[in-house]
Amino acid sequence: MLKKYKPFLRAGAIDTMAYRFNILMWAGITVCEVACMIFLWLAVYRSSTGGMDAEIHGFTFREMIAYVVLTTVFGFVTFNNDTLWNINTDIKKGTVGNYLIKPISYRGKFAATSLGNLLTMTLMFGVPMYTAALVTLGCMGFLPGLTFPAFFAHLGLFLIAGLCASLLNDTIAYIFGVLCFYTSAGWGLNSLKTTIISFLSGTLLPLAFFPAGLREIVKWMPFAGMSQNPVLILMMKYDLAESLRCIALSATWIVVLELFAKILFSHAVRKVTVHGG
Amino acid sequence: MRYVHLYFTCIKRSMISRLEYKKDTIIALFSFFFSNLCSLAAIFFILQAIPTLAGYTLPEVGFFYGFSMLPIALDHLFSDELWLVAYRRVKDGDMDMHFLRPVPVLFQVFAETFQPEGFGELILGVALITVCAMNLTVKVTLGAIAVLLVGAAFGAVIITSLKVAIAALAFIFKRSGPLLQIIYNFSAYAKYPLAIYPGFIRVLLIFVLPFGLFISLPVDTLLYGTNNPWLLSLAIMGAAAVFFSTSVWIWTLCERRYESTGS
Repeated sequence: MLKKYKPFLRAGAIDTMAYRFNILMWAGITVCEVACMIFLWLAVYRSSTGGMDAEIHGFTFREMIAYVVLTTVFGFVTFNNDTLWNINTDIKKGTVGNYLIKPISYRGKFAATSLGNLLTMTLMFGVPMYTAALVTLGCMGFLPGLTFPAFFAHLGLFLIAGLCASLLNDTIAYIFGVLCFYTSAGWGLNSLKTTIISFLSGTLLPLAFFPAGLREIVKWMPFAGMSQNPVLILMMKYDLAESLRCIALSATWIVVLELFAKILFSHAVRKVTVHGG
Repeated sequence: MRYVHLYFTCIKRSMISRLEYKKDTIIALFSFFFSNLCSLAAIFFILQAIPTLAGYTLPEVGFFYGFSMLPIALDHLFSDELWLVAYRRVKDGDMDMHFLRPVPVLFQVFAETFQPEGFGELILGVALITVCAMNLTVKVTLGAIAVLLVGAAFGAVIITSLKVAIAALAFIFKRSGPLLQIIYNFSAYAKYPLAIYPGFIRVLLIFVLPFGLFISLPVDTLLYGTNNPWLLSLAIMGAAAVFFSTSVWIWTLCERRYESTGS
């Protein structure tokens, strides 16, 4: 049944390899951004009442730097996803018509492609980057929570949480992509999606900094599972029970969002305008 | 005069084509507001946890953030097309048409897009400055106001010049978007007081990519009177003149090297 999606998985994997140069440039941009964040946090901790040794909302300065670096690597490896743009292009060029008459699910095609992307990104960049980041941060004493051999259990859970995050990201990108059926353009929707995710997933700053009420709401939303939770699992800031709870929450959201996407698509497909094709 | 008329004709056409996707334009404007709101909320949440940031209070940090939006917004209004030149248009062979017209290519690039999103940024920036300024207790001098106005206006000229110079490299290398992105992102550094950075970054932000020169230093001058406002204004205008003429020179040089990629 799933065999027919294998070519898309393969194409996604190969596609990512073909754009190695883009990925390197992207890394250059990211280094500048991370440096800016590090300077900011340095100033924040220096200015805090407890000085450099202070713990702010459960994070010491070293843990915060580790958090910034690891969420950046995580985002880079996990969110390499063009689903929204591809749907947008399909709509603009009218190629969406081709897919609608083929005996495969439009959703399945994107899910397989982005899993292919994830596979290549994880093997090609994830493994060396996580290793380098963890070893460097660990040796510098920036990961005080890490203990062996418990770390390996966390690493396993982290990989599952990362897979969940990638699927969540792809589902949300797909939902926003399907919304392009209504607007015929993806620019605005894409920036809206990016903003929501980066703020509510804890990429911009850990959710612990949010005011209590907002934090409680965000905790139950799918976004925390897309960046903050996997990274905190890896850093061993969550114990096993908490880690499993996070993964269960993400898995539930994947099911809910997939169902929502299905309903949305069946409505949206009636709205689609095929321009040529 | 002819160019003024031509500019408005082109911009009118660009606005009409933009409005083809009305819903998307509205979503884009909304998401733009929302994204700035999120960044502000993030700074606000961080500052709740500490008394001051390197000695700067919340309204002061807010003022920095708001003021940094002004030159960026002004540049955003007029020169958004340069992003496309750097990323796509040369590579896709779309620039040929500009070379066939009896008007300077650089002018055509500017006349191609007017980005109304910049207004959103401008309004938000001014609103933020106003709110923060009401919570500040500083003695506002004529010089401080002058240097802020100069910083915003000539700062925009400097940002646009940087964009022109780097976008021009696309004529030689076909694609210079990522480089432009790296340089442009340094503007994010200027959202915070220079005091939080180590020495070499400060030097970089004042003398090389002078975002700090026209954002941080004028705000510092208003808040603490750290610089002579008139001399600083002169320095900013001088830098703008140097950047502008250099970038036009680079553009002209690179333009001659243009080879069509076919289409």
